[in-house]
Amino acid sequence: MNTEVADPTNLSEKKDFLVRSSSLKDVRSFSREVFEKFKIDENLREELVLAIAEAAQNIVKHAYKDYPDTQDRMAVRISCTGKELEIAFFDKGKPVEESKVKHRPIDDVKPGGLGTFFIQEIMDSIKFKEGDKPWINNLVLTKKL
Amino acid sequence: MKFKVTDSENISTVFLNGEIDMDIADDVREVIFPLIDSGKEVHLNLKDVQYMDSSGISVIVESSKRAKDKNTKIELKEVSQPVEKVLAMARKFL
Repeated sequence: MNTEVADPTNLSEKKDFLVRSSSLKDVRSFSREVFEKFKIDENLREELVLAIAEAAQNIVKHAYKDYPDTQDRMAVRISCTGKELEIAFFDKGKPVEESKVKHRPIDDVKPGGLGTFFIQEIMDSIKFKEGDKPWINNLVLTKKL
Repeated sequence: MKFKVTDSENISTVFLNGEIDMDIADDVREVIFPLIDSGKEVHLNLKDVQYMDSSGISVIVESSKRAKDKNTKIELKEVSQPVEKVLAMARKFL
């Protein structure tokens, strides 16, 4: 785990993980460590951990759907400016089709979208971007603190 | 991963524990589904579950539907606070 900026009002930590379901517990551990270090409100921490884990799970389940034995790694970067938390995900999987992950109308619910619903409930914004090389996908979640 | 299971008449109680995520979900299905398929009422004791994500909720939803098909039922017992929070959020969606 590397701290990119030492300024306590502008912190950033990044770590990469093998893309597979067994890495999800490590993603959660990393997130909890960072939130402890950043002194994020304890009442908010586990919700944020859930949103991060669901986003990482989506990379494993969808971006790498056809590659369960990949040796690729995904990266998670958590940054805090004091007023806002930004969580960025980077992966080299199948490009995300944003229309397939947007919030669906209330009468069009399917259990498979529950993880994305959790992310939408917990975070203030969700943006899908093309990743800068070598990354393919870059998902950015933000939450006002 | 192994989970404790106790039996009392036609009720089996499965004691889940730890963190229930995508990596563990299939282990949970392997324990619960055969009990449902045998026609038993299944109680899921969740007091020792510290974390559950959408995969865990999916197992509960699938188990409930499966139980209905088998004319039996699933009940959640001693739901821990972290799981209750996730269930409350899931109820808005399901």
